[in-house]
Amino acid sequence: MATTMRGLTQFIADIRGARVRELEEKRINKEMANIRKKFKDGNLDGYQKKKYVSKIIFTYILGYKVDVGHMEAVNLISSHKYSEKQIGYLAVTLLMHENSDFLRLVVNSIKKDLDENNEINNCLALHAIANVGGQEMAEALAEDVHRLLISPTSQSMVKKKAALTLLRLYRKHPDVIPAAEWAMRIVSIMDDDDLGVVNCVTSLVMALAQDHPEAYAVCYQKAVDRMERLIMEREYSATYAYYKVPSPWLQVKLLRLLQYYPPSDDSTLLRILQDVLQTIMNNSAEQSRNVQHNNAQNAVLFEAISLAIHLDSRSPLVGTAAVLLARFISSKETNVRYLGLDTMAHLAARVDSLESIKKHQGTIILSLRDKDISVRRRALDLLYSMCDVDNAELIVGELLQYLKIADYNLREEMVLKIAILTEKYSTSYKWYVDTILQLINAAGDHVGEEVWYRVVQITTNTEDLQPYAARVVMEHLRSPSSHESLIKVGGYILGEYGHLIANETGYSPSDQFSVLHSKSQFCSAPTRALLLSTYIKWVNVFPEIKPHLVAVFERYRHVLDSDLQQRACEFYALASRPEDDELLQNVCEEMPPFPPRESTLLGRLNRKMGDTGDKRIWVHGGKEANQEHEAARKATRKPTLLDAQPTVSSPDGTNGETILDALAGLDLSAPTEAKSELIPPIPPLTHGANVDRWFEKLSCSNDGVLYEDVQLQMGIKSEYHGHLGRIAIFIGNKIASPLTSFTATLHVHDPDALSVSFAKIPPTTIMARTQVQQLLQVELKKPFNQNPLLTITFLAGSLQTVTLRLPILLTKFIEGVKLGPSDFFERWKVIGGPPREAQVVFPITLNDVGQVDTLKNRTVISGHRFTLLDDIDPNSSNLVGAGVLHTSASGKVGCLIRLEPNGDAKLCRLTVRSTSEEVASGVLEILRSQLSAPPSFA
Amino acid sequence: MIHAVLIFNTSGVPRLTKFYTPLRAESQPLLQKIFQLVSTRPASLCNFLDAPELQNLLGSKIGDEVRVVYRNYATLYFVFVVDGAESELGILDLIQVFVECLDRSFENVCELDLVFHFDDVHHILAQVIQGGLVLETNVDVIAQAVDEASLARKTSFLSANPLALGTGSGPRSSTLQTPLNWLTGKLGGIGAR
Repeated sequence: MATTMRGLTQFIADIRGARVRELEEKRINKEMANIRKKFKDGNLDGYQKKKYVSKIIFTYILGYKVDVGHMEAVNLISSHKYSEKQIGYLAVTLLMHENSDFLRLVVNSIKKDLDENNEINNCLALHAIANVGGQEMAEALAEDVHRLLISPTSQSMVKKKAALTLLRLYRKHPDVIPAAEWAMRIVSIMDDDDLGVVNCVTSLVMALAQDHPEAYAVCYQKAVDRMERLIMEREYSATYAYYKVPSPWLQVKLLRLLQYYPPSDDSTLLRILQDVLQTIMNNSAEQSRNVQHNNAQNAVLFEAISLAIHLDSRSPLVGTAAVLLARFISSKETNVRYLGLDTMAHLAARVDSLESIKKHQGTIILSLRDKDISVRRRALDLLYSMCDVDNAELIVGELLQYLKIADYNLREEMVLKIAILTEKYSTSYKWYVDTILQLINAAGDHVGEEVWYRVVQITTNTEDLQPYAARVVMEHLRSPSSHESLIKVGGYILGEYGHLIANETGYSPSDQFSVLHSKSQFCSAPTRALLLSTYIKWVNVFPEIKPHLVAVFERYRHVLDSDLQQRACEFYALASRPEDDELLQNVCEEMPPFPPRESTLLGRLNRKMGDTGDKRIWVHGGKEANQEHEAARKATRKPTLLDAQPTVSSPDGTNGETILDALAGLDLSAPTEAKSELIPPIPPLTHGANVDRWFEKLSCSNDGVLYEDVQLQMGIKSEYHGHLGRIAIFIGNKIASPLTSFTATLHVHDPDALSVSFAKIPPTTIMARTQVQQLLQVELKKPFNQNPLLTITFLAGSLQTVTLRLPILLTKFIEGVKLGPSDFFERWKVIGGPPREAQVVFPITLNDVGQVDTLKNRTVISGHRFTLLDDIDPNSSNLVGAGVLHTSASGKVGCLIRLEPNGDAKLCRLTVRSTSEEVASGVLEILRSQLSAPPSFA
Repeated sequence: MIHAVLIFNTSGVPRLTKFYTPLRAESQPLLQKIFQLVSTRPASLCNFLDAPELQNLLGSKIGDEVRVVYRNYATLYFVFVVDGAESELGILDLIQVFVECLDRSFENVCELDLVFHFDDVHHILAQVIQGGLVLETNVDVIAQAVDEASLARKTSFLSANPLALGTGSGPRSSTLQTPLNWLTGKLGGIGAR
């Protein structure tokens, strides 16, 4: 199209023809002047505007600065002709940035294009927002973008663009987007059939999930499911295979997304993930000859290894990964070496034992001498991460060696890292001081101030070290050339601790003075100022060299630098006071130890993290460094609703214990800490008289209806053996169109007490008028008191959510026992009264003939799996039952009940005695609620 | 995220510049710096480059880990500036996808196409990357989206200029048949790194 504008073609040809840069500039200046004039004259038609704006864009692309054409671009956007509109949008996205004033003028045109029923214009508008959207656009247009994303009529292209545009707006102005509220709807798009859409939405979810992990928790399941479909079932359209690898970008994203969450505790998901990762690793065992294929496969592989490390750094998968990585770091392909070292650094940052990596120490150290600086950098990072007490001396030694020949722009980072490693892993102070001074000597210019501050700090705080440090620094100063940083360290340490070694030969006060003073002439003013401070300290401790020192002050009183002059004058006055004056002594009192503080070095290294884009999931450095990083990441996370809620204290009031637990949790590894935070918000229960009735019925029976409405029918069949249970949930779609984006999630209040999980991931679609069956596996570990919840969401026109209590009660795990009267009373007495007895008196309703409804009571109690013992209580309306509760963690718990209804008083007394207080009160609560209910089903 | 997409020819002339984050300074010194970084690396080295030195020139909100991922096709360098959140190999694959798309819509793309059809190149890029994020990676889908846009352009052009002789919409007009064929044979893998 550009070529239809002859003027433009000519312009481009002219510029190409320009032989030297001056000619090119001249031609451009001429054209710009011409354009300015035309614009000023005004009265241009659309075509002309388009032509001139195109020229401006071309000039901009060549790297010239342009300052005209913004207004014309704005006009072109609102044109009805697509060709003009397109150039207008192109100019806006290229010439303007998010803070441009001109953007205010285009918001309305963009809104119009977004609302239009024409996806090509929608796309242009979305693209523009994604490129230049700022605060104002976010406020004005976020709703429209979201609408395009979720609208069922939007085409894939529009959905993709809308997802990324929303992401851009969220990154710029998170406040405008109600991320938690939109969570389910956005995550449901991850089930889209179009992998392109899935890819874009996953990008969006990744960003949102980092800030709202609870609200987006369900994306974990979606990501695992998608990976399973891509890798295990190979379910994807052929066009999305890139050199035979199914959409590597999507895979990389999903694998990365999974790393933002702590490892799931759903055993089914974990098992599937293991299989997926194993398959990825197996696939990569055979390298093909096609470069593109290898690239794509390795991209997935490296991310998979990272995920495996994240899930469990001790798993056999990681063992396999370590072997693969070892092969990669000695590969002939530079790219592979580079990524191998990078991923190995991740491994080193997470594993408990570095043994598997240390085996390759030699290879890694050799990589420091690789011909490619990129590889050298990665090798440096890896050595930094894999360093520990055992190999610190070797690694630091190697790094010091390499520092002398390292690239200039690598040195500063190296110095920092060497300094940190030396401090962290030093086994003796002697080694520490030696190394740091060597470091300062070798790479003086690249040593930041922090490094020598830190040496001084440590020396000051460590008394044993002081004489040694003074001696060594003196030795270093004696060498003919020493770096200024070294002179600073020397000045400070000798000034403070020089007197400790003054009696040794070769370190007399005059030796110290002559060595230090001989260097001062090569130093900058701040260093000289420091030396002057040293001298005044010496005036205090070394009276024998006082005349020399005073002479120095005398001389400096006349220098031009104001700071030096002032110091010299003050010190001179101080030194000239009479001998018995105490002022000097007081002024030169020895430095107190520094308060312990965090090393500034680490701060410097971590400071440079950006705040845009996705957060890193690990940092270079050992395991501890990563735990700190994790904690810091959590601290910076915006407080969410869940965090704001006060922690509910346990019902029996053992608050002190929970605090202790929390403290004990501190030294556990970071992921487990995170787990407790990640309980997703519990959606409100779906209500209705029927829902409660179905639930009650199911609590005393194993099969029945769980839920039914016009679209959906759910039924349950269950069986329990001891502490284990299996529940089949039948979900039927009653309408004539499929339910898509079907998601089922479980909320278990206390996963340590009760585990409930799907045997496999529920399908994402339920076809019209069909039924699917899902198997739930239940295990009782300890008594619990809240029913697990099942949340189902699906798309049928709009997104719908149903949340139900699952009929999994404590009593389901009871097995009835038959007891004779003597056995029963013996046990009843052994258990005794409170707290192992729970008792309640509650009102009851009588049946139609005004009598106690014994039949109902019998049904309830035997429905809760107690064996009714008839021959114990002579009163036939009193009921007595016995049962044993099976748990996997707390063993078997006996439980006896006695029910005494009184028809005249319309009251009933229920007593439960159990060897466990928790069970007694739990069973009491369950039975009471059922027994007091009106006789709706008996 | 992707911060910039650049194409240079071997003498350092930029043929495509697209920044997804606002720049702190003028673009010229940055472009020169990037070209210098990339062009001095011999072919046997890897396609990735840490470039902390670019941080001062790029926008202020960019994190520590500026990485340059580049690929050299005959006379052109395709250079992507990305941060730590992107998979390096993924970007390398993305460059290949972008090149395949260019090749598909220009039928044997050459440097001249990039010069004279800079707007088309930007439109194609817009179908691959949007706002610094990967939009689509499927060559067929991208090509289809590009075709739809050019069809819309053609229609609007014809309705506006009923007497025009050329349709003006073909990516390559008849006056510019100068394919250099620099890309054919490169895609197969011999020189394509």
